[in-house]
Amino acid sequence: MKTVLVIFGGQSTEHDISIITAINSIIKPLEMTKKFSVVPLYIAKNGNWYYHPRLKDLSLFRSGQVDKFLSKIEPVKIGLSQGLNIFYRNKIKNQKIKVDLVFPALHGTKGEDGALMGLLEMANVAYVGCDMPASAVAMNKVLSKQLAQVNQIDTSEFMWFKKADLEDQSLEKIAQKVKSKLKFPLFVKPAHLGSSIGISRVKELPDLINAIELAFYYDDLVLIEEEVPNLIEVTLPIIGNQKPQPAYLERPLLKAGDFFDFKTKYLSGGKKSGGQKTDQTSQGYSEVPAKLDKKLYKQAEDLGVKVYKIFSLSGIARVDMLIDAKLQKVYFNEINPLPGSLYAHNFQKFGISNVDLVIQLIDLAFDKFQDNQAVQKVFSTNYLTQF
Amino acid sequence: MFKPLTSLYSYKFPKVITYMLQVSEYDLWNYLKWLNRTRDFSQIIKRKQLVYTSKSKLIYGFLAVVFILQILFGLTLIYLGLFQHLSGGIYFGLATLISYPIIWPYLIVVGLLVVKILIINPQTINNNLLAKKKFQEFSGIKIAVLGSYGKTTMKELLLTVLSAAKNVEATPGNQNVAAAHYNFSQLIKGDEDILIIEYGEGRKKDIAKFAQITQPTHAIITGLAPVHQDHYKNLAQQADDLISITNFVSNDHIFANLESIELKPYISNTFKTYNRERVMGWKISDIKSQINGLSFKMTKKDQILKLKSPLIGRHLIGPLALVAALADYFGLDQKTIESAASQTKPFEHRMEPYELNGAMIVDDTYNGNIEGIKAGLDLLKELKFKRKIYVTPGLVDQGQKSHEIHFLIGQLIAKAKPDRVVLMNNSTTSSIQAGLINEAFKGELIIENEPLRFYQNLNLMFAKGDLVLLQNDWPDNYY
Repeated sequence: MKTVLVIFGGQSTEHDISIITAINSIIKPLEMTKKFSVVPLYIAKNGNWYYHPRLKDLSLFRSGQVDKFLSKIEPVKIGLSQGLNIFYRNKIKNQKIKVDLVFPALHGTKGEDGALMGLLEMANVAYVGCDMPASAVAMNKVLSKQLAQVNQIDTSEFMWFKKADLEDQSLEKIAQKVKSKLKFPLFVKPAHLGSSIGISRVKELPDLINAIELAFYYDDLVLIEEEVPNLIEVTLPIIGNQKPQPAYLERPLLKAGDFFDFKTKYLSGGKKSGGQKTDQTSQGYSEVPAKLDKKLYKQAEDLGVKVYKIFSLSGIARVDMLIDAKLQKVYFNEINPLPGSLYAHNFQKFGISNVDLVIQLIDLAFDKFQDNQAVQKVFSTNYLTQF
Repeated sequence: MFKPLTSLYSYKFPKVITYMLQVSEYDLWNYLKWLNRTRDFSQIIKRKQLVYTSKSKLIYGFLAVVFILQILFGLTLIYLGLFQHLSGGIYFGLATLISYPIIWPYLIVVGLLVVKILIINPQTINNNLLAKKKFQEFSGIKIAVLGSYGKTTMKELLLTVLSAAKNVEATPGNQNVAAAHYNFSQLIKGDEDILIIEYGEGRKKDIAKFAQITQPTHAIITGLAPVHQDHYKNLAQQADDLISITNFVSNDHIFANLESIELKPYISNTFKTYNRERVMGWKISDIKSQINGLSFKMTKKDQILKLKSPLIGRHLIGPLALVAALADYFGLDQKTIESAASQTKPFEHRMEPYELNGAMIVDDTYNGNIEGIKAGLDLLKELKFKRKIYVTPGLVDQGQKSHEIHFLIGQLIAKAKPDRVVLMNNSTTSSIQAGLINEAFKGELIIENEPLRFYQNLNLMFAKGDLVLLQNDWPDNYY
């Protein structure tokens, strides 16, 4: 029986979302297969890493007693030599878990942005999802837009600023620069965060200044982009390595002027959609599949798959797109290398159950790992003899 | 290792004992059997919770009080032994402290027996007399519905169709024992045309007892299959019990299910019979069985009935046809019968289909017999779906034939060719597995140790285009 380590929590603004993704969409379905030994590895907000079987239980986290529980157990130690090993102490003695595969369930910084993947690459262990370079680019909204543009993929007009820019110029000056180049309304986003955290939609200059300040609070790189008019927002979850398999194009449902912020997504149950017959998912209300004109649907689907390939994404990812309904034009927006709850609701409607989804992702991870192993990484030289 | 021991001395133990009594429906024999085979009492309350009725509250409260009193008494003896030099105080005190969770689960049985003999039994006798008088006074048609399976379905079908033109009352839900018959008798107004009374036999001579009280004019025997083998020695005893209805209803007013293989040898030539081909002179044809329901035609000389129903599974053609034929016999016209048949609907947890996230779920968790299992698997085999998933814990109360029956179930599952089979791990699992292997099952097999958790997370296992058949669900006292 293969040992699958599910890493979740993390020092990220999406810590709590990660817990739901890990327990509900990864651990539970994996355990239902009876094919894997599932090991939960929880990264607390203080950065300590913990293992305990009880960390598979959502009620522990919901009870608010998790910190008290963690205070009674020791953090684990990680070994990277000859694969990934977890060292922990149970009541009696030190124990070791040899990991066959890692299923990352960390959202946002230090998890989804390639940092964790780098560690796993060093350990030479198989893992689910996008690799380090793909994750790093995908989670950088500025880089990903630039890469898209280089590949002739339409994006909305945008500008970006680093926190260091504030040393040379004031927020007001940056805002003026933006005003002179871009048309309101605008979106201001921290470049590395997911789950719509720190995002603002602004219609005028004073709001823009506040929005930039807010975005810099969360990130040192800020993206400012024009709103796509006559907007239809769609998202496409995709699985696969070399041959991406898109699920259904999904349309989050919002009233005109609203956008899918953190509260709408995770806290209010997506109530902004108001009374329409739709699916309530962990991500709020949405239409699955999106009811679009056939041609437009295909156009968006093709774009999503193209992005997946260009960015060398693997395992699973979600490509978000913006459609100008009047011009029937699809713009690339951003990539989510680890969609919340794996977007299992969408795959389920598409015909892939959550259990089958995690099994497929594990198979894809092992396939990719095997391919990587075939690549020669070290070789002998006489270089050292000259010293 | 320590868990079984600590579970005895847990503060939850009085609640666990009360729960065990309640789930055993206060059947003291079943409770004692469960008690004796249980080692770890911390694993008892899993699928349900204790329901706080006046009876359960009384027992729970009583146990809690006597436990506390015995602990206090034990401590007092130890104190007296230590400080007042009471001879044997320490030993008796320790024995008193240790023994309370061992003796009271048995002493409570004695208490309940006394209550049963002194209070409940006289009350039951009186109630039965009152019920008998009420049924005696009723001059209309009284249809008894009996059998090892399919009773509630038959009763509900009769109620739905006959109510279209007659004043009909029926015993509610699956309440089908003497106490329920008494309660039902008290609701009879006397102006009803037809009463439908379900008989839920569980012990020898139950049918005769129910018939003596309710005095039916007609009877329907829905089938025979091994159930309650803890009380009936064998299937023949069970059959004798069902056939004892002939002592109360004339043979030409008894309708028996010819599709029940086990019942067949006991069906008299003078009974009226029904199956998916013929019933009371009607011929059945043009059958269509789909996930959204059944349709078929009934012809008798120049009479034609075209029936459509959302009920699923070919095994229900016979019962629905019998109900239509009886409706005709009781004077309902063709249009009323056809319209009423279309109003029938699947009953909760009995071949009840519903769509969930694009998958079709067939909830047959109230099924508890081999015939029902066969019917469900026939349906699974017949329907076309992208993927088929079958879930069952097997059957309870199958007595000495348990291995044989579950081996057969394994074979039947393999023949139905589901893509994935989930078995709830229990005493029957190895027999089902053996049947699956014997029939060279090629799909995926999952053995689940935590049924409750599995059912709670079932949604994770299916997707659009799947068919999921859930057959039977065991209460805690069978694990």
